[in-house]
Amino acid sequence: MSIYITSVGVISAIGLNVEENYRSLKNKKTGIAPIKFLDLNKNILAGEVKLSNEDLIERLNVSSPISRTSLLGLAAAKEAWKGHQHNDAIRTGLISATSVGGMDNTEKYYKQRLETESPDISLVTTHDSGNTTERIAKALGISGYINTLSTACSSGANAIMLGARLMQQNKLDRVLVGGSDSFTHFTEEGFRSLMIYSDEWVKPFDENRDGLNLGEGGGFLVLENDKSLAITNNKPLATLAGWANTADAYHQTASSPDGKGATLAISNALKKGSINPSKVSYVNAHGTGTPNNDLSESVALINVFKDNVPPFSSTKAYTGHTLAASGAIEAVYSILALQHNVIFPNLNFSTPITDTKLVPVVNLNKEQEVNIVLSNSFGFGGNNSTVIFKKA
Amino acid sequence: MYINACSTISHQNSFQNENWINELTLLDENNELITPNYKEFIAPTALRRMSKIIRMGLTCAKDCVKQSGIENPDAIIVGTALGCLADTEKFLNNALTLKGLIPPTAFIQSTHNTIAGQISLELKNHNYNVTHTQNSLSFEHALIDAILCLNEDDSNILVGAVDEEIPLLGELTGQFGLDSIKNKLTSSASFFMLSNNKTETSKAKLVDSYTVGLNTSDSKKIINEFLERNNTSLADVDLVLSNSYGTVSDSEIKNLFDSIEVIPVEQHTGYHLTTAAFGMHLATEMINQKSGNQILIYNTLNNSNIGLTLLQSLEA
Repeated sequence: MSIYITSVGVISAIGLNVEENYRSLKNKKTGIAPIKFLDLNKNILAGEVKLSNEDLIERLNVSSPISRTSLLGLAAAKEAWKGHQHNDAIRTGLISATSVGGMDNTEKYYKQRLETESPDISLVTTHDSGNTTERIAKALGISGYINTLSTACSSGANAIMLGARLMQQNKLDRVLVGGSDSFTHFTEEGFRSLMIYSDEWVKPFDENRDGLNLGEGGGFLVLENDKSLAITNNKPLATLAGWANTADAYHQTASSPDGKGATLAISNALKKGSINPSKVSYVNAHGTGTPNNDLSESVALINVFKDNVPPFSSTKAYTGHTLAASGAIEAVYSILALQHNVIFPNLNFSTPITDTKLVPVVNLNKEQEVNIVLSNSFGFGGNNSTVIFKKA
Repeated sequence: MYINACSTISHQNSFQNENWINELTLLDENNELITPNYKEFIAPTALRRMSKIIRMGLTCAKDCVKQSGIENPDAIIVGTALGCLADTEKFLNNALTLKGLIPPTAFIQSTHNTIAGQISLELKNHNYNVTHTQNSLSFEHALIDAILCLNEDDSNILVGAVDEEIPLLGELTGQFGLDSIKNKLTSSASFFMLSNNKTETSKAKLVDSYTVGLNTSDSKKIINEFLERNNTSLADVDLVLSNSYGTVSDSEIKNLFDSIEVIPVEQHTGYHLTTAAFGMHLATEMINQKSGNQILIYNTLNNSNIGLTLLQSLEA
């Protein structure tokens, strides 16, 4: 049974919609810059979405309080959902992924609580991750199967595969899947406490990489089965060809040096899709720019592909690390690669990692057919996931 | 699908006690969260760093492994509504008050997937690992995922739910004017080993679990259709375990279930958003002790969401 992707939506530091994101990727234009729109009083580099909460609320026509995570998710979900309607004959669901949920509002409350007598408790009503998703569902008029996954930085990819599995087992006909996360003081300080927040522009897969830049955003995809397509008449952009979720079981935050979990995720996803590794046109890597992830992921790529590692790049130097949203945002980029036969360049790379010597794609590559794209997402807790997209 | 192991840490004497459902009490302010000898399950060095939610989840998971003899389950699936609240608050407080380098442990342990991640680490398990967090339906969504796995190639699934109470939650609940809940906030963890195989430890059958989020239609219809899809009807349901805590009136419960006995789970567990997991353990033991052939777990802790889980006896 085929799982068709019929539309996508994205909001990130490099654009407020799919078209803007594609243009920035093609033009090697990063969205990582000193923070300007977030009310955080910080002078740091991050992949900030270039709209304030007030502007997002107005554009999306929703009521306050609402978390920035919901706003970013809704912006992307709305773009993906455009033209879709409720139809009793199409069993429809929504699966979103988030790591921080409403932490952006919760931390505002907590700060007020420490500093003032009467903090605004309405801010904590958006804390739970399920609420983040329900706000998106309400705004789009979706009810029924509504769920949220939280597997740290692999959450978005897991939302995609759960949607596919529900369709394969005939529970749903159409699912809006994706994820969102907003930049927060909490996560920034968290990555700083682990000493993996870089104050320079992130350098994925470079020998001299020294950590990640945090980003924010949302990505959503509409998955449909044949029954749904017959009713909606939508044209597939791509199909979801394979997926896998594995556990590294090495450390709560660090990835294993032998890339065990990542190797299993990539090879199991290929197996699930009956795809010969040599047929993969492009790997959209997780590539956070931390010393640990990029080494472990490189080892995993070599474990699976041996001497024939496909062209690969990380797009984290455009968007920053968007945590739970990254798997969904990068799924959208993978589909853009298939649609336009392009491979997006990895920014800020100059020296290969000594141990693995892998060189990512550094210039926009548009000379080849792109038929199969594999996208990796690895997270805290050893949660590793891979999804594979194929030309429709 | 068979329920081959169950383990619960709660305000009842539920842990490693075969007879716990016969010792059930109505919860009052004297009931405390039980404290198993965690050192039997977790190394002391690791235990020192672990918050309540991680200890509870990990211990119930390991207890299920021990009971079932399944050391390497094909998937580890956890539901949690609010996740690791204690570590989240701790790191949030540190991040807002400390200058310079902040200890990372609370951040590392603040993500919702910490419990499932720690279970995979302890079991050295590389299989499917996921965490569902859909407020009052977090456990049902974990169960539905487990059922998907069992219908794929998997044979044994470790699935459970856990939520923890922290003082700030009580403080906020009070400020929202929810005084009836404020004094009854509790923590619990319940884990299960589900299997396609009937074994000597099998206690009951899990038939199905189903959710409706942002429900706008008729609850009665949703319940009847769910039972119908599973080839049964309310007439054959012996008992309903409800998780509703005031969101549904007694007259509505009566209207939905008529003369079927309804036990509110919260009278034994207190209030948190994944009490349906406690309900499933309770239902499993009741079926095992022949107090019913078919039990429905009804969850409307969030009154716009409905969760339904159906259990049957092994003979049914």
